[in-house]
Amino acid sequence: MSESRTLPRVLVQFLDRASVAIGCTRDASLAPSIHYSSGWLLDADQRSIWCFIPEPFTAGLRASLEENGHFALTVEHIGPHECYQFKGTYLSMRPATEADREITARCRERFVAAVATLNPHVSPNRDLLRKYILDPAVAVRFAVREVYLQTPGPGAGRLLAQLEDRP
Amino acid sequence: MSARLPDEIRPVMENGVPVIIATCSTDGVPNVSIVSEVYYVDPGTVALSFQFFSKTIKNVRENPQATIILNDIQGGRRWILRVRYDHSETEGPIFDAMDMQIEAIASATGMSGIFKLRSADLYKVSSVETIRNA
Repeated sequence: MSESRTLPRVLVQFLDRASVAIGCTRDASLAPSIHYSSGWLLDADQRSIWCFIPEPFTAGLRASLEENGHFALTVEHIGPHECYQFKGTYLSMRPATEADREITARCRERFVAAVATLNPHVSPNRDLLRKYILDPAVAVRFAVREVYLQTPGPGAGRLLAQLEDRP
Repeated sequence: MSARLPDEIRPVMENGVPVIIATCSTDGVPNVSIVSEVYYVDPGTVALSFQFFSKTIKNVRENPQATIILNDIQGGRRWILRVRYDHSETEGPIFDAMDMQIEAIASATGMSGIFKLRSADLYKVSSVETIRNA
């Protein structure tokens, strides 16, 4: 295994300004499931990410993670369409805490501001947008292995960073 | 297994809000992408555009299982579609309609000229469910 590295600074900064995140697992039959992440936080180790997932999106989450450990997280900065996918390995899961909900509240406000700014004439009002980001029920931590560019365009899919070798 | 799309989902498919699609490679690595739109074909079929070679495009040709989430912010809910990739079309009315809509979306989002439709990828719908905001 290669020496573990940390996320490049540009991606750390991106996570602090991003406005939406979507997690993904797969089960034993390779059927994928989507787990909206209401909030996210880079761990102090600078190479694992916490995802705060609301209850309606937890179906199959623990079973899939414990069965195969695969987790993917796509994160976008709405507006400039800047988007990256973080792929990695499940580390742990626990019930969401008050601190997680506070982080989620900040992510929620970034989502609201981004969508409302995108097209203020057609976007739903801010209260509707706030309600769309549900409070988290669980926190999932995964170790980032690879980061891919997903900003729309011909460069999408390019590997940007590899923190670990694939198992 | 197949399912029918309810009529009320059609406006959501045309609301201009980006859509989420999750797939999985045959070696078991999940992938999740944001796409501009899912197209209604008939009550049991939806279509996604293939513009650039991507992990999603590669995955569904190896493992046809996919999950799509449609965002209905105004209605306070999300629609979850379990689908299976069926086939691709490179000409015909579905392809032409998607090509026109892609350029309209690209133009509206300041990305005109970046996108070129290679094929319309058709998926059969296996199940439909909704998640409402609390």
